[in-house]
Amino acid sequence: MTARAPDLRILVCGTADRGDDGAALAAIAHVLPELPEALRGRIEIRRCQQLDVTDLVDVGAGESVVVVDTVVGVEPGSVVTVRLDDLARHPAGVAPRSSHALSVEDALHLAEAVRGGLPVGTFVGIGGKWFGYGERFSRAVKSNLPAFGAAIRRSIEDLLAVSL
Amino acid sequence: MGHGGDLRFQVENLTRVEGEGSLHLRVRDGVVEEARLEIFEAPRYFEALVVGRTPDEVIDIVARICGICPVAYQMSAVHAFEDLFGATVHPQVRALRRLLYCAEWIESHALHIYLLHAPDFLGYPSAVELARDHRDLVTDGLRLKKIGNHLLSVLGGRPIHPVSVRVGGFSRLPDRAELSGLRADLEEALRLSQATVELVNGLAAPAFEREPRLVALRHRSEYPLNDGRIVSTDGVNLRASDWGEAFHEVQVPWSNALQARAADGLPYLLGPSARVVLATDQLHPLAKAALARTGALASIRRNPYRSIVARAIELVHVTAEAIDIVDAYEKPDAPAVAVTPRPGVAAWATEAPRGLLFHRYVVGDDGKVAAATIVPPTSQNQAAIEADLATFAPAVLDLPMADATHRLEQLIRSYDPCISCATHFLDLSVERTP
Repeated sequence: MTARAPDLRILVCGTADRGDDGAALAAIAHVLPELPEALRGRIEIRRCQQLDVTDLVDVGAGESVVVVDTVVGVEPGSVVTVRLDDLARHPAGVAPRSSHALSVEDALHLAEAVRGGLPVGTFVGIGGKWFGYGERFSRAVKSNLPAFGAAIRRSIEDLLAVSL
Repeated sequence: MGHGGDLRFQVENLTRVEGEGSLHLRVRDGVVEEARLEIFEAPRYFEALVVGRTPDEVIDIVARICGICPVAYQMSAVHAFEDLFGATVHPQVRALRRLLYCAEWIESHALHIYLLHAPDFLGYPSAVELARDHRDLVTDGLRLKKIGNHLLSVLGGRPIHPVSVRVGGFSRLPDRAELSGLRADLEEALRLSQATVELVNGLAAPAFEREPRLVALRHRSEYPLNDGRIVSTDGVNLRASDWGEAFHEVQVPWSNALQARAADGLPYLLGPSARVVLATDQLHPLAKAALARTGALASIRRNPYRSIVARAIELVHVTAEAIDIVDAYEKPDAPAVAVTPRPGVAAWATEAPRGLLFHRYVVGDDGKVAAATIVPPTSQNQAAIEADLATFAPAVLDLPMADATHRLEQLIRSYDPCISCATHFLDLSVERTP
């Protein structure tokens, strides 16, 4: 029996041991069990710590994607949902300070060039406050995790054309 | 573009050059009077950050210096401490550390060859434009990089900034099955690496030859990664811990990164070209065969643009060696040996993807670091880059400004400074004095 290819891939970014950087992992851990089992079968979850070009290139044809991550540049705890193609076309103009990874914009453009187009999808982020080793969630992030989870669910609904 | 009178090349914002910097050239009557790689990013103070920390803390802290070569920083530190403490790790642990280093070289070299340097040779402003016309080529590079990062994850717990290295060994060892599961990926990486050699050897490099002083580690029986003596093309041969006997750091007004010089005050060059030249006989047989097919050893030595071939040869080496290590792996009983800290000076050098990386720590009676010196390869290569820019620049002064700028940027990227990709976005200003 051939397993059915997933319809939606969720790329969960961040690391659990660095304060607010683990928000995406926590949110997904709450969202997934609440989804109907049949729907979970249509979703593939991948952890990718830091979004890499290949994470986007690997998204199959016909498969949509939700990228979930903690972000900076917005109010801690606030939740943002942006279509991937909007993110590529209208970047925030902020490049990562580190020289060690491509900016999100560069990663999207490179993935687009390699795939011949970006996958249909959304980016769902929550503003982080601190990211130190061993730190817990900031109050702003902790109190807004339900809203973060709700935004992720909405993206799943939109991309799979279902109502939860 | 004529070059009578004074000419000043000022390339602003050379970002991602292990810091942020710019290129400044001053030319008078066709002669380059000054070539400066200006690094103006604020100091990062890692040497101060590790003071008061235990050796195991230091290993994790210094990994944060670089996201491309964190293993290099971990390896130079852990070997330095183990040497001081008299710790002898299990042979399989030593092999796993080489495997961890192989993983880093795979992802780092693939990144530089395919995404940062290849666009220069193929006439594209960046990897994005390159990918539109050469999708398979960029896909191969991304695939190689991913295999390297995955191997890093399996051994180090993370694809970037691994966390498993500790004094005496590792915090956790993989099972044999975990490593065997990587073999198919590594075989694919080996095939891609061999194809990479063919690809880059066929790329036309600008004609530029000089005879640099090359410096690298050399081990008695293996290609230099974690261990070896410091050797050079002009006869240096000393213990890795004795870097300071032949080299020293200097501060120049235009750089927030210290530069390094040989004892005679002159520059020297580290990195893949130096290693391939100084340890040709220790390359893996498959890498040696690939090098022989290129016939490129002489040009690797003399033409900096051909460093891309050296880097590809090393890709073959590390993928082949990684397979050998995976095949021979037997999990030891314990991930680490017990270590008793003692005061003294811990010093070691290993080979980061970009060249020799020297660490020196003073460990106090409390077992904590009291002082640290970290000399990364990009700092050591700065002076050689400036010397090469000064030598090469007259050859491009008659080209249109955009072409001249491109050739100079391409030369800088040949040394794989951590910031190369951003040099694609440089703005160049020229000031002429009639």
